[in-house]
Amino acid sequence: MNRKIKDFPMIKHIVLALFLVFAFYTAVFGAVGCDLNDPDRDVARLFPESTGYKTIYTSILKKGGETLLTTVETRLGVKFQGIYETIDVPYTIYEIFTNKKKIGYIHGVNQKGQFGGIQVFLVLNLEGTIRGFYIQKMTSQYAGKLRDQKFGKQFIGLTIKDFANYDAVLGKSSGKVDAIKNPAPEAEADFRAALRATKKNLILMDEFVLSAQPVQSSEGGTK
Amino acid sequence: MEKSSQGADTILTFRTLIICAVLLFVTNTVQAADQLLYFEAQGIAGYSSELRKPVYYSMNPDAEMQKPSVGFDYLKRFSGESGDWGTFALQARAALTINGLDGANGIKWEPQVYNAYFKVKTPGPYVWVGHNRPAFGLGSYFDSHGLLLRTLAVQGFGYDRDWGGGLSKDFSWGDIAASLTTGSGMPVYTKGNSMAAARISYGVLSQDNFNLGFSLGYGNTLDTMGYNLLDQKPQEMRLAGADLTILRNSFEHRFDVLTGTWLNQDTYALMYRLGFNVDPEGRLKIEAQPTYWKFGDEKKWQAAFCISSLVTSNLTVRMMYQYDHNRSDNSVVLQFYFYMPVI
Repeated sequence: MNRKIKDFPMIKHIVLALFLVFAFYTAVFGAVGCDLNDPDRDVARLFPESTGYKTIYTSILKKGGETLLTTVETRLGVKFQGIYETIDVPYTIYEIFTNKKKIGYIHGVNQKGQFGGIQVFLVLNLEGTIRGFYIQKMTSQYAGKLRDQKFGKQFIGLTIKDFANYDAVLGKSSGKVDAIKNPAPEAEADFRAALRATKKNLILMDEFVLSAQPVQSSEGGTK
Repeated sequence: MEKSSQGADTILTFRTLIICAVLLFVTNTVQAADQLLYFEAQGIAGYSSELRKPVYYSMNPDAEMQKPSVGFDYLKRFSGESGDWGTFALQARAALTINGLDGANGIKWEPQVYNAYFKVKTPGPYVWVGHNRPAFGLGSYFDSHGLLLRTLAVQGFGYDRDWGGGLSKDFSWGDIAASLTTGSGMPVYTKGNSMAAARISYGVLSQDNFNLGFSLGYGNTLDTMGYNLLDQKPQEMRLAGADLTILRNSFEHRFDVLTGTWLNQDTYALMYRLGFNVDPEGRLKIEAQPTYWKFGDEKKWQAAFCISSLVTSNLTVRMMYQYDHNRSDNSVVLQFYFYMPVI
């Protein structure tokens, strides 16, 4: 059993292959979607008057390709990056119904947090005004404070216009967004991530659904 | 006999590939937004000190887990005028088995079916029929399809997927699930075999960062490995299990323990998996897992260590080192797993 690594020629190849993989590690991207953990339970909780929902899949690639990606990045004020923001990331939009009448949307996005990805869902009426804010996944030890309803209530009534001046890089804003208080100062990175995710979420919903612009053809986009 | 078996395998492989091709064609022409289709492919290569040669599988050449393969993962939702009412899932692949256990490498293609179920929303629970996860232990909700590290079900104590039906209901405090399946794993046999299982859990993992589950299983199950039937006669199964998952900051802890009778042998088994997400996006993960079990008179333990890296938008690379105490085997396996959205 006391063999040395030179007795395992395959190991050397594997180690070399892994080294090469990690050497190119900076060029990392990945397509990661964002679904409600349990749509039946969550839709009923977030939209008490709902009787049903439809699940719609879309992506920036499908809706407008590189052109749409540029538009979204410009509105966000920062380039998309990393595994949660590739052009082909599938986005799940829940259309909410009362009987056969559509009454709103629920949409979530993934966002890089302090200790891993966080998932920020917005509950929107048909005009795009936030009527609910919900952090699903967050593994931070301070997650409870950011998931608390008191924190979420600060977002109710806000729209994409309120977030237009929010600087997603510096984490600064003015007006209603600036008034949102961080309940966990120890988790400043996650607080900022939640605000960036909210702005990203609103922009994507505006582009995907609310502004109802015709789909633009572009290189890389599906027809 | 072997020839006809190989012929049947070939037919099954072609059938799987035809289904795949038809699905790809249909879904590409429809282009609806209520379905997802992914192409997947993986390469596996490693080295076993016991065999003193390269291996091209993660577990055993006869088992259904990671081998060089190509396949697809398809999900479709069905909706009416007031919302969704059903989901269809089909995940299958053609796997290349390179069996080098007995000297010269034997090579064959094999179709493998994982998810193959239809799930319906009812006023009460979700109800599914097809090939899905039995309601027992960590494997009932933790997706191990592409992972090198093994849950107890993948290790052989239960079935990662089984044919039959089940139901599940989520609550604000947790969930309950039950299943009645064939107790045969990937192949379908009717030799008086069956497996009933139920699990109740406390905590919603994605909200509470923990989930504690208790499971019970009862039936007469078959000893299978991949599509191979190892024993014609169903054997008694009476199992109780508990599992716990805790997520905190960058750490993930997963425990799974079961005890009782499995394949007519007194059995207990336990595993613990510690995961550490190195970066805030989970692109690089390090995991360690000891597993111990007693099955009849056989006592065994393994220790495994795995590094996973999401290298590109579609490519994950994993490397696992494992020490198997009873076989005194040191093995290293490298996996390239490609998963790309088609629609």
